[in-house]
This record gives sequence, structure tokens and C-alpha cells, in this order.
Amino acid sequence: MQTTAKNRQLCLTFYIAMATSVFLSCGYGDGAQQNKPKTDNPPKASAPNGASDTSAASSDPVIRAMREELERSKSQVKMENVAAPYYIEYRLSDVTDYSAEAAFGALRQHQNTHGRSVRVVVRVGDYKQDSYYGPGVGVVEFAPLDNDDIALRRQLWMATDRAYKMASEALAGKKALLSQYSAEQPFDDFAKAPALQSMEPLAKLEFSPETWEKALAKSTDLFRSDPKIQSLSARATFRAVNEYFVNTEGTITRQGNTWYLVQLSGETQAEDGMRLGRSPYYMTAKASELPDAAKLESDTTKMLETLKRLREAPLVEEDYRGPVLFSNDAATDVFYGMIGSNVLGVRPKPGDSARTTGKFSSNYKGRVLPTFLSVVDDPTIKSFQGHSLIGSYEVDEEGVRAQTVPVITDGMLMEYLLGRMPIRDFPDSNGHGRAAPGQAPSPNIGILMVKSKDALSTENIKKKLIELCKEENKEYGYYVETLSGYEPRLLYRVYVNDGHEELVRGAVFNELDTRTLRNDLVAAGGDPLVSNREGQVPSTVIAPSILFDELEVKRTDQKNAKMPEYPPPALTPGR
Amino acid sequence: MNKPKARTAICFLLAICVIPTFSSGSAPDSLLQIMQDELKRANASLAKSDPAPYYLSYAVADINGTVIVAMNGSLVLSTSVQRREADVMMRVGSPALDNTHSNKNRASGITSGTLPLNNDRDAIARVLWQLTNRGYDQASSAFLTVKTNTAVQSEEEDKSPDFSKESSQEHVGDALAVAPLNQKQWEDRARKISGEFLKYPEVYDSTVYLQVSDDRSYLATSEGTAVVRPSALSRLVIQGETRADDGMELMRVETFQAPSAQELPSDTELLAKADEISEDLKALRAAPTAEPYAGPALLSGRAAAVFFHEVLGHRLEGHRQRDETEGQTFTKKINQLVLPSFLTVVDDPTLKELNGVKLAGSYDFDDEGVPAARVEAVENGVLKNFLMSRMPNKYFEHSNGHGRRQPGLMATGRQGNLIVTSTNTVPDSELRKKFIEEIKKQGKPYGLYFDDIQGGFTLTARAMPQAFQVLPVMVYRVYADGRPDELVRGVDIVGTPLLSLNNIMVTGDTMQVFNGICGAESGWVPVAAAAPAMLFSEIEVQKQRKGTERPPILAPPEPSTASSSNTQSKARR
Repeated sequence: MQTTAKNRQLCLTFYIAMATSVFLSCGYGDGAQQNKPKTDNPPKASAPNGASDTSAASSDPVIRAMREELERSKSQVKMENVAAPYYIEYRLSDVTDYSAEAAFGALRQHQNTHGRSVRVVVRVGDYKQDSYYGPGVGVVEFAPLDNDDIALRRQLWMATDRAYKMASEALAGKKALLSQYSAEQPFDDFAKAPALQSMEPLAKLEFSPETWEKALAKSTDLFRSDPKIQSLSARATFRAVNEYFVNTEGTITRQGNTWYLVQLSGETQAEDGMRLGRSPYYMTAKASELPDAAKLESDTTKMLETLKRLREAPLVEEDYRGPVLFSNDAATDVFYGMIGSNVLGVRPKPGDSARTTGKFSSNYKGRVLPTFLSVVDDPTIKSFQGHSLIGSYEVDEEGVRAQTVPVITDGMLMEYLLGRMPIRDFPDSNGHGRAAPGQAPSPNIGILMVKSKDALSTENIKKKLIELCKEENKEYGYYVETLSGYEPRLLYRVYVNDGHEELVRGAVFNELDTRTLRNDLVAAGGDPLVSNREGQVPSTVIAPSILFDELEVKRTDQKNAKMPEYPPPALTPGR
Repeated sequence: MNKPKARTAICFLLAICVIPTFSSGSAPDSLLQIMQDELKRANASLAKSDPAPYYLSYAVADINGTVIVAMNGSLVLSTSVQRREADVMMRVGSPALDNTHSNKNRASGITSGTLPLNNDRDAIARVLWQLTNRGYDQASSAFLTVKTNTAVQSEEEDKSPDFSKESSQEHVGDALAVAPLNQKQWEDRARKISGEFLKYPEVYDSTVYLQVSDDRSYLATSEGTAVVRPSALSRLVIQGETRADDGMELMRVETFQAPSAQELPSDTELLAKADEISEDLKALRAAPTAEPYAGPALLSGRAAAVFFHEVLGHRLEGHRQRDETEGQTFTKKINQLVLPSFLTVVDDPTLKELNGVKLAGSYDFDDEGVPAARVEAVENGVLKNFLMSRMPNKYFEHSNGHGRRQPGLMATGRQGNLIVTSTNTVPDSELRKKFIEEIKKQGKPYGLYFDDIQGGFTLTARAMPQAFQVLPVMVYRVYADGRPDELVRGVDIVGTPLLSLNNIMVTGDTMQVFNGICGAESGWVPVAAAAPAMLFSEIEVQKQRKGTERPPILAPPEPSTASSSNTQSKARR
């Protein structure tokens, strides 16, 4: 096999992928820096945190090796006729993964992997204009699992060398590209950030594989209880990520996080062939918060019950435009997708004059939500109403301390979430430059909290739904309990005459988008729900139930599937 | 009118990337029985459908494997996997024309999923039912497309059936007595061997990779075939990389293979190999680059083996003879002279070893349940046979046990153990003399000797030139005037297959074996190739495409105790 070093890395990834779940990938992104904090919790002082952090840094073998190679690179890496780097950073991600899956009462997959990667960024130029562009956005390499000084430094050495060479090419390429545009960029390429030293303890997964594998198998064995259930599976994915970060500005950080995900998945078909599915999940930062085997089983039974009811539920045949109540669960999905992805301060491509990407790029200081709602992203909180939050972190993947950012205040968009790549009017990072292991950082939410000024109780928000329907002479309104994407999974008609609820199937929303959020939201509940989410980076959304006064619900135009060509195999009697 | 799409067959005769096929220790009979029972039920049920399948098979690859990777004296990865990959293969229509007709529809014949790890009858049968249902939807709609297209498209050159008739087979292979892998011990060994490269500052990158698998493959078909095949394989790959001052990337790889890790070489031997690789890389860095050249060349047995695998072997694969987008170099040459008459090429998966070396391409039954057969592809220079799966062509209507695949893909004709023998030999020791004679005869200042190759890739699509490339690593100029041999770097052999094969003048008398893995349309399969050293009257070489990145600016990091001298060590450039 004749390959370059790059191909060899891909090749390694390829065969590792066959044996394990891949944790490495190459990706690119950017970030920015802190602005004036506006919260009750001022950020911690960014000066070194005292003796404990310094001594932790010097005794940690990984940090030590990284700093040593960083020093050597900083003082010596230079090519003739090319500027020396003005900035170098090393980030090592140590990932431990466990995954297991069962279907129909039997385990069909289980695996443990432990791997490390290093990501090296070398910048040439200066803070105003630098090489972080095209091929200059960083190099990823495998890193040794053993805390072996030389082995780690060798990987850093090769990656630094390549990153520097590519940076010099990238800067030349960028200058050439920008010469096409007359307007000068009104902000720096790279935001300055204070040096930070923060050493947190390492994180470890704590669980019993045997217990989990038994529980997953046992829950999925419940497929026997309903012959019309076509598929029943359950998976567990647990991850611990420990990250080590050093840069030439003097930042040294170490932090560890864990998350645990358990997901059930069931499928059935209605008599007309419509595919019906449910996939509830539990996601926490602590193993102790996961359901035990008994709860998992009873929740599986409940899920199967809802699948049965869905099968028997009437179709939504007539179109509806009117009030719709979203449960807090459904609301978290809506806010995650429509707010979470649009309050990120992501710099557009060179030559694009928009402030950021996403739907709110022209909405700075404009209204994006009703005035009774505010949204804050605060990664520093550790728990909410007794639930751990997987979006919690102290320091982002660019070595900047996480800040509380009130992105939307009384409906007005006042801030964006930023890493160290400035955007127009936002020169500093607010500690939201986040990245998955091996990936380039990019602005992302941490813990997105939606708060309402006048929160209605559960009883009263349902009352308001009925009230609004009555005003429009409607026979019923809609209540959505669970979504899949933006499509309702559990949708109920709520009858105005007596308030009773009827499960229905086969409906979709029409025009559920950011405009609907801004114009048609009329009330919110006082029942915030914690929703931990996997996504590109682990994050949390906390939101209450919400009421729209006008949303369109119509019949789906997706065709029904064929029923199975032949019946499933008979079960072994007595099991 | 459909234009033939350029479709490229790429075979990497690799030392590295391996797809694990694994197995667990559970009782083979009960899994096979469960598969057979559910297959019978599915077949009976689907017989009532319209269209009904005429063929259904369940294949399960029961996988148990470990991968250990080390670099620079430290472990990078060490993980084990247990998995059961199930493939449901269904054919709808008739053997004359079914849903898999023509390349675009081949994949409609296979649906894949994961089975439970234990022999839970209800769970296994359920998953097989799910996959079979999906498979039916896929196959029946593809068949509709095939029927429509056949009516519309121009007449095909080869109107053979889509599926051959073969007798059913029953065989349950005994579990192999393979000692379980001592993972901890091998982690340490991998560390140690990779650490050896640290002695050589010129070696920038190095990897030690071990993959161990202990598998069982199960196959049950609606024709009554029931075959269970155990297989065990351990591959150890040691690789070193560097860069010349002009940016050319240089690499040396050594592979070792045995049924169990215990049979792999000792640390002493492996450390010596690491040293050898490193010394070779040093020499390559210092070597001059080769010039484009056409003239006499001598290939070592290993180099010749890879050459034949790429240039000849792939062109013998049965399915290529039918595919109109393929180059079909040999398709119409059955019973014609394609090689010098002193050469015979046999592909024999039933052969387990050659001259004491275990062969990687050995198997008893192919992946379609057909018994492996020794195939005389070329006899005394005359093309006699293709390597056939159950896809017939107009020259051969039956499989000869060469239908191979990796889990998840449909089988095609593939090589197993390609053995090249010669009746025009001289002792290896005399081959060099003959070589120099020929160099002088042609009036060239030197000839090229190819000692080590990394495997290559071959392009067989019609729309592309019938080029092949075998990527040599250790190549020497052999001078007519008696100067010592000179290592050169950056050489690629090029040429067109028909021409180059007919330039072989004489061979040596000692067979050398190359064990590797080959990737093509039906995925990765282990293969071997064996050949004697060969003297070519002419081989054409071009300069290898070189990288543009210069060698590292800094010397490699040294241990901290030397850090004070480190800060004074000069940058390289």
C-alpha cells in the first residue's frame, strides 16, 4: 500500500471503524471571546487559580509533555522566508466509550473503546489577520493511550510541523481571496482572550456493563406481549471525555465530562400500513440518574401501550388552523432547533457581509420571540431541579471560561454565542467555542434556558387552550406531547366541551418555523423540563410548555407502507 | 441509450486494512438450525407472493476480533469486538433473468443486519424475518426495474443467465483449535516493537498493527446448502514512514500472518525487522531519484507475485467478462496464447501452504457455498479458465468455487491463491548473470531490479486506459559495467498488461509467497500470490508522484533529561 501519512491516518480510521466506533474525525470551525458579563454570576477571575492549579498542571504527565513540546515548537519552529507562528495550541481529547444494543430480548452488540486524539492549531500572521482558513484550521492525529512523554510529543511534533506548513499556505491563499473584495473586514480574525489556568479532576464512567446488558435484553423481551409490534430495541451509549488544552498565550486547562444515554425504540404498523414509531430516551451526566432495570421495563411497557393506542387511533383527515399546546418535552425540541441553532455567532465565508449564519443574522436587537420570553445560555450551572445537565462545562475547547449569556431578553435578540472568531459588533469570545473530540471548535449552546415572565400552571395553560378554541368556535384544539424532529409523535385532540383528550395519528404541522415562534406564541407554562441532547456537542435545553394561538395541523402526505409480506415467526411456547 | 459508466475496479493488495470476520464460541449447530428453520418458513411463505423468490439464502458471519495499534512505543488502540453480521440474499424472477441483473441492481439482492450474540431462537428468527421482508421489497421492486430496462435497452453482448445451477452442499467445519489471544501480552509487544523505531530519528512515523480474528461463517440456502466454516487469522503489520529532502514520501511495510497470534514471529525477529525497515528508509532518503526508463528488469519472486495478481489476476475474474463497462482484456481470448508458453498460472484455494509458508487465500468452500476448486487459469501460456462465482458468462456456465465476498456485499469471482509456475527456469543465482547479459545486449547502461513492492492498484474499466501500477519500494540500478548496485527511489512501473506480460524472458527456480488482502467490488478478502523471480526484456517505469511537503523542521523530540541541549539544537531548515 502506497500512501501518504494522511492516507495512513484515514486507513487507520477505516480499519478501526470496522472494529470499533470511530471517535476521530477532521472538522473545521471557529470561535470568539468574552463580552461584558450581564448576569448575577460574574465569571471567575482568569488569573491562575492559585497553587492548586499550578501544581496540578505540573504533576499531570499529559499536560507536562504537551507544554514541553509547545515550548520547543514556540521557540524553534520557523521556515526560511516564512513568518514564525504567532499562536499555537494543543488539545488532547481522551474518549472512553461504551455501547450496547439489544433487540427482541437478546443482546446484539456491546463494545468498549478507549482512544485519544490531539488537535494542533498553528496560526501565522497576527490577531488581525491570520492563517486560520482553508488548510490552516488544524491537524488531528492519534495520541498515545499511555502517558508516555516521547510518544505524545512525537505526535505533537509531526502535527505541529504539518499545521505550520499548511498555515503558511493558507494565509497566502486567504490574502489572495480577500484581495478580490474591496471592503476590509471590520473585525479581527482571532479574538484575544486572557490566559487561564484551570485543572479539574478527570472524569470516569461508572456503571456495570452486565447489569445494563441484562436490563436492555429484558426490556426488549417485552416484544412478546404484543404480536403487532414489529421491532423493539434498546441501546445504551455511555461516554467519558477528558480534555487537556495548552496554548502559547499561557492557557492550561484540563476538564472531564461524562454522559449516559439510554434509548428505547419501537415500531409497529396500523392496519392501513402507516408506520408508527416511538423512541423515548434518557440522557444524564450521572449514571445514578438513569432508570434502573425495573423502571426501564415499566417504561418499555408504557411505550408499547402507546404504540398500541396509536395503531388504533383515528387518522387526522381534516386540516386545522388554530391553537396548539406544546408540552415542555415538545417545546424543548422546538427551542433547540429554532433558537439553539440560530443564536450562534458563526462567521460567514469571506466576502459575505452578513453578521452571522442562521436565521437570526439580521435580527440583532430585533424581536425574535414574544416579549414575555427570555433565553439565557449558562453552561456553568451543574443541575436543575435535581437533574444533572450534560451541557454543563467550565471552560470551552478554546481555553476560554464559559460565560452566562442572555441571548434573548424580553423577546429581543441581544447577544450571540461566541468562540474566539469575532463577528461584526462582537469582538470577544463568551466561552462558547465548543467542539467534539478531534473537531474544530465552533459556537454552540451549552445549557439553553427558556424563561417566561407570566408562567401559567399546567391546569391554566390547558384552560387557555380551550378558551382560545372556544373563541374561534372550534370543537377541539390540539395538544402535542412528543415530537420527532418537528413532526408530532403523540398528538391529542382536546375537546372544548369537556376537555377530554383523544389520541390521533397521521398529522404534520405546516409552517412551524421561527416566524411562528415570534408571532404566534401567546403563553408559556411554569413547568421547565430538562432535555439533555446528544447533538454535535452534548448540550441541554430547559424549557416550559408553550401555547400557540395559530398553527396549522394537516394530514400527512406521506404514503403508507406495505404490510409485511408474511407474518413473523411464532414464538417459542412457554417463554 | 445508456452510456457505459466508467467503473473502476480498484484492488489494493494491502498489507494493512483488514476487515475482521469473527465468530463466537457458541454451539454452531443450533444457530445453523435456527437459520434453516426460519429460511424454510420464509421460503414457503414467499412462494405465495407474486413475484416469488426463486432463491433465498441466509449468511451469518460470527465475529470475534481484536485490534491492537501502537506507535512510538505507546499503545494507541486496543479493542475487542463481538458481532454477528447477517446477510439475507434473495433472487426474484428466474435464473435466466433476476433482480440482480446488471451492475446497478446487484445490491438489490442483499439485505444486511446484526443478529443477537446468543442463540436465542425467537430473537434471531425475528431479525431474520425483518431482513427478509425488507429484502423482498427491495428485490421485487428491482426485478420490476430490470424487466422494464431489458425491454428498453439494446441487446447485451452476453446473454448468459444471472445465476448458475450448482449442487447443494452440506459441510460443518470443525472448530479450529486456536489459542485465545493474550491481549495484555500483545499490547506490551506492540509497544516494544513500535518503540524500536524511536532509535531512528529519520523515521518520522511508524505503526505496529495487529488484528486477530476467530470467526465462524454460516450459510443456509433454499437449495439445501448448509455450510459452516471456521477461520482464524492473525495479521501483524509493521510500517515505517519518512520523507526525502525533496518532499518525496517513502514507506516500508512488512506483514506477518498466521492462523493464531502465537505462531507469529518472536520479538527478536520483529525487532530486527523494525531495524531493517528503518535502515532501508534511511538508505532510501539518501538514494537518488529514478529517471523514466524502459529496459530490462528483474523482479524478485514477491514483486512478480504482486505483478501477476494485479495485471493478470483481476482480469480473470468472471464477472468482469460480462460487464460491458469493463476493459475485458482477456474476455475473448479463451484458448489463445496470452503469456509466454513456459508460464502456467493456477488459482488454488485448496492449497494450504507453499514451501512451508501458510497461504492467506485458502478456503474449503467459497462464500456462495460452492466447494473451492483448483483452477488452471493459464496453461503453458494459453488462457483456459476464468475465476468463476455463480454468475455465468458465455464461456463458462458454472462456478468454480471462486465466489468471494465480505459481509454486506454480493459475491463476485475473486482470486484465492494465485500460483505462477515456469518451465523455463535458471537457478536464482544465475538469473542475475542473464540479467546483465540482456542489459549489455540492449546497450543500456543499467537495468532495474525490483526487490520489494507495496502492492498496487489496477484499473479495469473500459473508459480508462488499461494501465496498471505496481508500486515498488526497494529498487536498484544494476550496472552492466560491474559497478555496485545502486538503490533508487521514486519508481513506478507502468505499462499496458498484454504487452508487459509477453516481455518475460526467463524465471528463477524458487517460489516466493506474498500474503495480503485484496479489495474490489465484493469487498476485502484475504489472498496470496506466489511466483518465481522473473526477468523481463522490457519494463517501463515512470517517476513516482512526489509529495511537496518538506521534511520536518525540527528534529524529533528527545527525552526531557536532554531538554537543555534541546533548546540549543538547531532547526533542520
